[in-house]
Amino acid sequence: MKLNFFRKKSPWILHYNAGGCNGCDIEILACLSPKYDIERFGMINTGNPKQSDILLVTGPVTKRSRERLVEIYAQMPEPKVVVSCGACACTGGVFRGMYNCEGGIDQYIPVDVYVCGCGTRPEQIIDGVIQALAILEKKSKELEQSVRLKKEPVKEGNQLNRRNIAGEIIKIA
Amino acid sequence: MNDLLIPVLLILLAPIIGGFIYGFERIIKARMQRRLGPPLLQPFFDFFKLADKRKMIVHSTHAFLGIMHFVSLWFALAILLLGGDLILVIFLHLLSTSLLILAGYSTRSIFSHLGANRTAISILCYEPVLILIAVSVFMITGSFDVASIFKYQEALLFKMPLAFIALLLVLPIKLKKSPFDVAEAHQELTGGVEIEFSGIFYEAIYTAKWIDYMFCYTLVYLFGANNPLLGIGLVFFVFFYINALDNSTARVNYKQMLRFSLLVALPIAFINLLLTILQSS
Repeated sequence: MKLNFFRKKSPWILHYNAGGCNGCDIEILACLSPKYDIERFGMINTGNPKQSDILLVTGPVTKRSRERLVEIYAQMPEPKVVVSCGACACTGGVFRGMYNCEGGIDQYIPVDVYVCGCGTRPEQIIDGVIQALAILEKKSKELEQSVRLKKEPVKEGNQLNRRNIAGEIIKIA
Repeated sequence: MNDLLIPVLLILLAPIIGGFIYGFERIIKARMQRRLGPPLLQPFFDFFKLADKRKMIVHSTHAFLGIMHFVSLWFALAILLLGGDLILVIFLHLLSTSLLILAGYSTRSIFSHLGANRTAISILCYEPVLILIAVSVFMITGSFDVASIFKYQEALLFKMPLAFIALLLVLPIKLKKSPFDVAEAHQELTGGVEIEFSGIFYEAIYTAKWIDYMFCYTLVYLFGANNPLLGIGLVFFVFFYINALDNSTARVNYKQMLRFSLLVALPIAFINLLLTILQSS
């Protein structure tokens, strides 16, 4: 039975601040307020990675928070999508190039939707999440399953040749 | 045969009815906050979505205890609806909650441990009151059987109004509603014991919550048992009372909850018991 339809009906959100200034976080909380009311789409701000579908990340990834970011992403069960909120999370923003930050979250985890703005407007966040839902619905089961490779990586000189393996993965999928 | 039909239907449809109660409750809560709120079928959308998610379990005992919590709670509801022993029903409910507590302790997550601790404390808050109410029912009807309440000529609400007040005071603890939602505490513990469940195993906990609604509202219905109109009226009154309370109060800490329950709700239930003894003698 195909249950993909229900994914976009009840997206549960996990919100993580990777060292931002709290501006975008306040806008995310504004989405929950009566004026914007994202609960009408069935969204809940769970705060628990094991039960959520959408990871909303704000802030440039500081070196303290990057391990937590990857850990939280790994704890979310598939299917999952990542939405980066705000200029900092997309590119690093005004913090780009500083000694304590990385330029955006996409250096660590795959990002599906980028929402721009400093800070992002609640309308933009809702729009970004709705676009993420379309991606979430399309994500297939095959993507989640781990693939057991039959071929051993070939060593050419000093480097492993992964090209043949990539070809095999495409054949399986 | 006809007497059995309605309870059996209610038992079989318990998760569906409970889901509708939960969906309706979310709408009512949203309207009280001047929001639109999710659609009525939202709990079922959540249900099907969770069935589709990848299963990640901590260890098999943890997942098994979660499922047994759901099964034993449904069993307790079945005995309650079939007119079984009230004390047995209360202890079966206690068993199901203690399975959840064991599940909470079986992981190494701190939040899970804290949630299990607080669930144990909340049992300490509502369980004595429920048992005292059951004993008062025994003093009035002469039997612990739920069926005897239906056979009794008068509604229990007028026979023992204090017991109903005591039940109103402990029901928020049992349903994990604010101001007594210390066991769940979404902002603090992100769900307490349910934090480590995911996918289809979280579904067992999520659906057990709906059955818990059915259980609590059936307990309320017993106070107007021989008059269905009164019983349904009581259920609606308690439904709106609990949601209004949930929306208008902030969470107390577990010590205040314990103090309130043992110093206010328990004495009320006890005075009620004394009054029923005086009445029956």
